[in-house]
Amino acid sequence: MSKKLVTRWLAALLTLAVLASACGGRDDSAADTATTTTTAAPDTGDDDVDQPDEPDEPDQPDEPDEPDPCDVTLEATEIGVSEDEITVIIMADSDNALAPGLFEGARVGAFAWADDVNRRGGLGCRTVNIEFWDSMLNPTETENGFLKACSDALALVGTTVLFGTSTDDLESCADINGDPTGVPDLAYITTEVPHQCSSVSFHISRPGASCPYESGERDYTAAIGPVTWLAEHTGEDLHGLYLVPSDLPSTTASAVPQIAAHEQAGVIYEKAFGVSGALPQASFTPFVQAIRENESNFVYNGSNDATMAKLLNEANDQGLDLSSVNWLCTLSCYTPAFLENGDVVEGVYVWMFFLPFEEADTNEELSNFMTAVDDDFPEAWAAGAWADGVLLEAAVNGIVAADGPNAITRARLLEELAGISSFDVNGWWGAADFASTNSISDCFMVTQIQDGEYVRIHPEERGTLDCGEDNVLGVTADPSQFTPDS
Amino acid sequence: MTRVQLRPSQIAALVGGVAFLGVLVWLNWAGNAVTRDGFLVATIAGLSVGSLYAISATGMVVVYTTTGTFNFAHGGIGVFSAFFYWELVENADGLELPNWIGLLVVVLLIAPLIGIVLDVVLMRSLRNAPMVVQLMVTVGLMVFLLTLTGQLWQGDRPRTIQPFWRGSGFDIGDFRVTWHRFMVIAVAALIAALLRVLLFRTRIGVAMRAVVDNRELTALNGARPGLLSSFAWALGASLAAIAGILIAPELNPLDPGNLNNLMLIAAITAAAIGQLKNLPMTVLGGLLIGLLSQHQARWLSFGSDWPFVRDAAAPVLLFIVVLALPQSRLAVGRVSSNLRPIERTTTWWEGAIGAVALILFGRWFARGSLNFGVWDPGEWDQIALNNGIAALVLAMIGLSLIPLTGWAGQINFAPLAFAGFGAFIFLKLAGESGNLLWLPVVGLLCAPLGALVALFAARLSGLYLALLSLAFALVMGKLVLPHPKIFPTIHRFEDPTLFGWAIDNRYDYFVTLLVFLGFGIFALVLLRRSRYGRRWIAMQDSEAAAATVGINTMLTKVVVYAFSATLAGMAGVFWALSKGSVDSGRDFEVLANFEIVLLMAAAGVALPSAALFLAFIPLTQALGGRLDDGGSVPWLVWLLDDFLAKFGPGLLAIGMVVNQRGAIFEMGRGFAPILPWRRDAREEMAQERAAKTTAEIGGLGLDLPFTNETVLTLDTELGIIDEVTPSGGYTHGVGTVPR
Repeated sequence: MSKKLVTRWLAALLTLAVLASACGGRDDSAADTATTTTTAAPDTGDDDVDQPDEPDEPDQPDEPDEPDPCDVTLEATEIGVSEDEITVIIMADSDNALAPGLFEGARVGAFAWADDVNRRGGLGCRTVNIEFWDSMLNPTETENGFLKACSDALALVGTTVLFGTSTDDLESCADINGDPTGVPDLAYITTEVPHQCSSVSFHISRPGASCPYESGERDYTAAIGPVTWLAEHTGEDLHGLYLVPSDLPSTTASAVPQIAAHEQAGVIYEKAFGVSGALPQASFTPFVQAIRENESNFVYNGSNDATMAKLLNEANDQGLDLSSVNWLCTLSCYTPAFLENGDVVEGVYVWMFFLPFEEADTNEELSNFMTAVDDDFPEAWAAGAWADGVLLEAAVNGIVAADGPNAITRARLLEELAGISSFDVNGWWGAADFASTNSISDCFMVTQIQDGEYVRIHPEERGTLDCGEDNVLGVTADPSQFTPDS
Repeated sequence: MTRVQLRPSQIAALVGGVAFLGVLVWLNWAGNAVTRDGFLVATIAGLSVGSLYAISATGMVVVYTTTGTFNFAHGGIGVFSAFFYWELVENADGLELPNWIGLLVVVLLIAPLIGIVLDVVLMRSLRNAPMVVQLMVTVGLMVFLLTLTGQLWQGDRPRTIQPFWRGSGFDIGDFRVTWHRFMVIAVAALIAALLRVLLFRTRIGVAMRAVVDNRELTALNGARPGLLSSFAWALGASLAAIAGILIAPELNPLDPGNLNNLMLIAAITAAAIGQLKNLPMTVLGGLLIGLLSQHQARWLSFGSDWPFVRDAAAPVLLFIVVLALPQSRLAVGRVSSNLRPIERTTTWWEGAIGAVALILFGRWFARGSLNFGVWDPGEWDQIALNNGIAALVLAMIGLSLIPLTGWAGQINFAPLAFAGFGAFIFLKLAGESGNLLWLPVVGLLCAPLGALVALFAARLSGLYLALLSLAFALVMGKLVLPHPKIFPTIHRFEDPTLFGWAIDNRYDYFVTLLVFLGFGIFALVLLRRSRYGRRWIAMQDSEAAAATVGINTMLTKVVVYAFSATLAGMAGVFWALSKGSVDSGRDFEVLANFEIVLLMAAAGVALPSAALFLAFIPLTQALGGRLDDGGSVPWLVWLLDDFLAKFGPGLLAIGMVVNQRGAIFEMGRGFAPILPWRRDAREEMAQERAAKTTAEIGGLGLDLPFTNETVLTLDTELGIIDEVTPSGGYTHGVGTVPR
């Protein structure tokens, strides 16, 4: 073989290798997190790479060709799984008369994921066909979405609904054999207990509460990492207010484990005010007065960004020195709308359980997401739906790797999902265990708003999360016994 | 000096009220130390919030005083104006006008234009319409404007309106009053003062009020009612715009629903405190509500069993205020404007045929036995059945309004409150079993609640009655039904059973509902023909006349309320069973009540078959979804699934302007002449055609000039043509109009 010919072969192989790394497998070591996806992910894409006539790499002549799992006659194996297509449904509360486009971001994220996975060669040796069901903030339409998935889809991906009050149809849906297997539901937002405790739902953002549950005391796992870090960071004993989202009993209940866990971690809440996005800013005057009276140095917002902004604006209007208080908010304050409040939100800490969008260069999955959604500051709902898509990908790839692409059924998918003991969205999110609804990710990172931008504060190294058992705490509480202050 | 004299009963009521308040405070005292600062902060916050209510309420009162129409859409106009202001001033991609210029453009140009268009296109046609029609059109307008605002400015980006003089203000002790809030309080007071001067000290104001009292008489005295009416609506819309723009910075980011809620319930309460006419009292009312809510939050704690007590202050106050308003006088000594022509009532066998047809048609339709040639809908899938069940349940709740509102004329904005009570009774009696044999017992136990409401409502009519029912719906939805002893946070009804038969699939449940609904419609047809049906109709036509002929109107009202509560309560059982559980936090929203009442009114609430109209939204969505699945006719899918589902309820209610007796009524009138046995309908149609060939003379001398033709028509109508009209007809300058 001439030197020129060898050079050409090497160049061709190098090109193929670059293509394969760009379009195919994922880099699981991108983030410095404690755990990674345990399910093997076979490379099912890049048919052009796996051409049967390609010669073996010259320097590895003894290694046999890895068999292509897609090199079989594909069959329609399940409702929503045809010979050439896997159908999934993204259901979200979007269009409604009074809050149009509420969780539109979830649709954007799920469709971006489907486009991305198809661009990489598909899923389970098939093309992903994604459909959108708008649940319209309506229980009947939510139930209809479950029925639609039952009749048409392999699974729901990125479910972001507030009215998951009836999950019977979801859990008892008949599969292709007529067995009441249920439809796998890879959800992001689940506020209602029936949805949280559904046997076929897998929540990428964990409920952190025990199931089944009917009434009385409930076991919870709550994040305390952000508050213990803040206490350490500021060197202060944190005491102050908790803003409880009190629009509904279910949202009020969501604050109960957080407050209990924070208090066990040493935070003293002088007041836990019930708040609502519908309250006018003037109603926050007494809250500012409470901060003054108690000389509080801490406010934790368990509600939305609008609520936190109103309190900050009112505090500013009342002449409170905003820097005398440590303002800590959840992911809900990670929005362009929050930043639009200008100077008053400067210094606010915002913690989250995934790497922020600004660090797309540190994680391939996050980078793919940002490229696919084509938005500098997408909604968090989009991130959640995308993460659910990646979870489905991991589960389906696991099935294909173990039993081939004709083994994809709802039952097998449920089995595979239940077996994923730890999943971190390829290093983008903190890892979560799906074995129990009561487990949550023990990872977090904190940003602070500085000069109108979210700036990483903790951990200092970009692309990393702070993970550890000390970041979460188990508590037991009865949500019905809790009354927010007003 | 005027001495206030109280009757013993009033003193007793006052003492009782104060004692009740004392006990309430004592039982629920939060334990906060009463300090000067604590009192001051609650007071300042209360005044700030209260002034928002006051400024909105004054606009409502002005429109009511000057047009006679209570405008539920006042908040909707304010919401639309606030978003329009945002577009002009705050939108970085827009004009970015200075805020004062934006304010002037919206308040002096856009809002008045909206008001004038509303007057010319809608409100003038409602001048002589029954109160229920007037109210429904404005409620429909509110829903339409909120939907339109939501669609024009979708939630794809946050929208905020900055306060005037942001960040600056003056201090009272440790507290700062921002200039913006001070301006809101000042503007509320200023508007009240200026409007009082306008209405009582200026010629145009007096004329505006006079038009409401007697339009014809005012016109004969030289005023121009049309112009005055437009001016009043323009003024009202401008006030709504001012309120919307000044309130919006308190609610950032802008949300149509939140902004409207703030401008609606508390503002209505404030307006009621001002007896819908007294502007200073209205402002004080707004401030009182604000102070009450803030002081209650500061000093009282009601525990976790009352999760929405914070939102209940205004509704409770509205309930009390409406009851305390002076009694409306019986309309005696003049002809009722609500007199209806003598109508043919549906016969029992027509009702029976209709009910059976409904059941069979629904069943065949769901089974896919119907093929329309150009469109074969096929067998309904689970989603279609689910929508069908939701539609039938709504129709059953709607049935409860037919005797109460349609026949007895008692406006009721609280059908879901009665339905929720029925579901609660069922849960207590049958547990989660779903045993429908408890249905009659539930109905019987719901009747006392209806009777109780009747006792409150007995002395009220028209607008006050509507406000009372609105307050009742809010109190039930915010205080009573969310109590965990009513509906536990988590409960789950099992599949319905009837005589041991488990109705465990959607098709069977759909057919069961069809049978119950068909039976309900048939029963109402029979009831309409009965003595009680005629009594209720008589009471609506003229309560005074009904009393004169010996009808015990009090008893009649109690019975109709009890019967309506029975129907709604039983429908509530089906409602709860179809949902599987009741979400006490969300299921009793006042807007959901509005939609039911709106659609019933738009359909023609006096007709039992109108209840089927409540299937409108679920069915348009279902139909749109089915067409969408087939990938056919995109514009039709958009029309059904998108446009009608969102705008339908509002537009249908607005459509009552031209069709005050409802869509089903008009459809029936069009359909009846082709029925072989309806000779009467054919004759009526022929008479109407003949009548249309002659000119309308009702506005002669007002809107209609005295021409030869109109005078001749008048003579003919009065039957005096032979006596007074010249034999050759009237002679005009250019010719003669023959007899």
